[in-house]
Amino acid sequence: MRPEMREYNYDWLMGSMLHAASRVSNGTPKETELTYRYIPYFKNVAQSFIGAGEIGIQILKLFDRYYENILTAHERGQKIAASTFCFSPSIFYAMDIVPICMELLTALGNIVWRRGMFDYMDYGVEAGLPETSCSSQRGALGAYFAGLCEPIDFIVCDTPGVCDTNANAFAFTATFLDKPYYALNYPQVLGDDRSQNYHVEDYKELVRFMEAQTGNKLDYDRLGEVLQEVEKQDALIADIEDMHTLKPTPLAPIHNIALYAGKFTFSGNREYTRLLEMIADSAKKRVEIGASGLKTGEEKLRVYMIYIDHYTLDMNFWNWFDENSVAHMGGMLSHHFRDNIEYTKALEGISYGVDTSSPESMFNSIAQMNARLPMVRSIRGPYDQPNMWLEETLALAKNFRADCLIYNGTPGCRNTWANVKLMVRDLEKHGYPTHIMNDDAFDDRVESWVATRERLEEFFQVRGLL
Amino acid sequence: MDTFYDAATRVRNKPILKWKEEGRSVVGYTCSYVPAEIFHAADILPIRLRGIETDGMDIGDTYYGPFICSFPKCILQLAGKGMFDFLDGAVITPGCDAMRRLDECWRKAGEDYEGILPSYFYYFDVPHKTEPHGMQWFVKEIRNLIDSVERHFDVRITDEKLKTAIRAYNQGRKLLQTVEDLRSQAEIKVSGTDVFAATVASTVMPRGEFTADLEKWIQSIKQNKPLKNGQKRLMLVGSISDEIDLVELVEKDNHAVVVAENLCFGARYESNQIPENGNPVQALAEHYLGKSVCPRMYGKYKERLGFLKDKIECAGVDGVIMQNIRFCDLHGAENALFERDLEAMGIPCLRIEREYGPLIETGRIKLRINAFLERIS
Repeated sequence: MRPEMREYNYDWLMGSMLHAASRVSNGTPKETELTYRYIPYFKNVAQSFIGAGEIGIQILKLFDRYYENILTAHERGQKIAASTFCFSPSIFYAMDIVPICMELLTALGNIVWRRGMFDYMDYGVEAGLPETSCSSQRGALGAYFAGLCEPIDFIVCDTPGVCDTNANAFAFTATFLDKPYYALNYPQVLGDDRSQNYHVEDYKELVRFMEAQTGNKLDYDRLGEVLQEVEKQDALIADIEDMHTLKPTPLAPIHNIALYAGKFTFSGNREYTRLLEMIADSAKKRVEIGASGLKTGEEKLRVYMIYIDHYTLDMNFWNWFDENSVAHMGGMLSHHFRDNIEYTKALEGISYGVDTSSPESMFNSIAQMNARLPMVRSIRGPYDQPNMWLEETLALAKNFRADCLIYNGTPGCRNTWANVKLMVRDLEKHGYPTHIMNDDAFDDRVESWVATRERLEEFFQVRGLL
Repeated sequence: MDTFYDAATRVRNKPILKWKEEGRSVVGYTCSYVPAEIFHAADILPIRLRGIETDGMDIGDTYYGPFICSFPKCILQLAGKGMFDFLDGAVITPGCDAMRRLDECWRKAGEDYEGILPSYFYYFDVPHKTEPHGMQWFVKEIRNLIDSVERHFDVRITDEKLKTAIRAYNQGRKLLQTVEDLRSQAEIKVSGTDVFAATVASTVMPRGEFTADLEKWIQSIKQNKPLKNGQKRLMLVGSISDEIDLVELVEKDNHAVVVAENLCFGARYESNQIPENGNPVQALAEHYLGKSVCPRMYGKYKERLGFLKDKIECAGVDGVIMQNIRFCDLHGAENALFERDLEAMGIPCLRIEREYGPLIETGRIKLRINAFLERIS
């Protein structure tokens, strides 16, 4: 790693930057414009968020708070748990633990820094992760391996057998940093009684593990409070998802990332509820006047991302949607599988409910909710089996009236690169033009954004979509 | 030994073809977590699926994406070319992401290439943990597999038959352990290539025939003259390998001999005998899931390092060659940890990334092995 990279604590660097960014819009518009002059490297990304109005600013505040929690956790006597995007942080909040979602940290670094997370990714390789491992964890983990972050106390993930590269990155970290580790494991099917019971039994072990790490028993009253907040959030998401199906969609592309970034960081917390309320309110206002959420005001096309988004500099991916009048209909990360959502009705057993009436029902609720998060929900088994990737994609594409589909991932994603060609072939047979992006969602060195954009545009042109 | 070499170096080897001529069924499986005893008990020949003898990757690359390990791609390639047309069934397991997707890739290729998909095609869901709920899941999976085999092949797999199969496999394990003991001695009488050929052969030969041949071979090893003095004693570990020519390459020029390995196809758990009394399904589950500590069982690094250290000590290993197939993150990452910890203990290590299959990189790999041998000489 370059020596200058070692001069700064990574958490402090990110935390300070996000803290400053979240306050840029506190001044008058003129003052905000003036501030941009002094931050030439961050101007575009700041404008992307601040230009999105109160929702964009709330996202910055959310990330600011997230880093503040990390930076002050040990001072406040809290433990820090390293975790992953497909793991609900609700349980951490219920147990007074500060979570870190590694993939989100990597994505954030890529979006705000011109140098991306390249140095940290490369350090991950120096430490021993293969260069072919998933860049989503390797970026942020590289900073941890270099000792540039607030030390983590333990590690939990839930991906063995669903995404081995993810599980492997965390298992490696546990050994490399000598930290306790627990991984939930999911069967290759979803929805039957046997797998539901397995989820609960494994989750019980997880809670025992976290109780041992923190020295505190799970407080069911506190868990109830967190789940009740989840209830509110789920109801808001159901409304937002309903409005998102309308033509034109009242949601802006950036709202999609807000939906899942909030869930991965503050599920069960008031911060996320507030963000959802803002998204719902702004969407309702647009619905009332039939307005599109796109900046151009016109919706030419609807794209559903069958996997993840592209976390390149300055939010360029989302901006591209806005500039080209293309509606982003969400992706595997942004959609939600609560039993009150329309599209889950087509997929028996795929949804979860929340019941806070007893400790047992709460435990079951949170275990089943965790099992319905992105990837661990529908990539766990063969893609063409019930409730898995193909059925889920077709249900969502139909529900959101997508015109075409796009796959984006990372070269480290064995679990999808091993079958995405089959998936795309089937989706095309179902009538959906489908494009495979060949970039790395977290590493622009694999393919530059300019090249990625050209390939995207070529797809839309060749298929006569735009 | 010729039988072992034939079995280890050819997909369509003599024992399998003879078995088929007798009108009996053959089922292939992809992972060491599948209890072969179940098939033996049903008079079906269980064989580990392998990717040797590929001469291209057109079919493997068509269905799999580009960032995938070449081992499952080679299996798919062979399937697509009809090399597995003797199979009556195949069992796919979630050994790793790339291997589990062989299920979909093979099924979809079967839609395009007539007759390449065996009539019995089964997905065996092996959990990633040994806690009670994991073990319970695995026991049920074994029972489901037994039911499915019984239905499809119209056979009856009783507890007694399973116990007989366990005894037969235990006998082979015991003999392989004897081979391990022999190769570990200070005076080496058998090459690593020969031992590996025998071990790989154990995964594709009828168990009775294998055990009888192995017994004879052990007697002949004892009569062998010691190999040349001064050879470096190496251990080979890492990604899945059934490639005899890889071990042969290490031993070429007689500067080194492979005295131990920790490979999916190699001798690993031979010292573990499966209890022959009691509930056979439970016993199989506890052996195949409970005793296996390959990297797919996350969080067990210390056990695996301990296993390596024991072997290194027991076989008097001078250096460890760690290989991983490109895109095999599980072994790639673990090899880095092994290297860190073993080097700290004064055990020289060499890490190599490579492709599976015909040794297209012979020159590069040999060069690195030679440099490593020079380093530890």
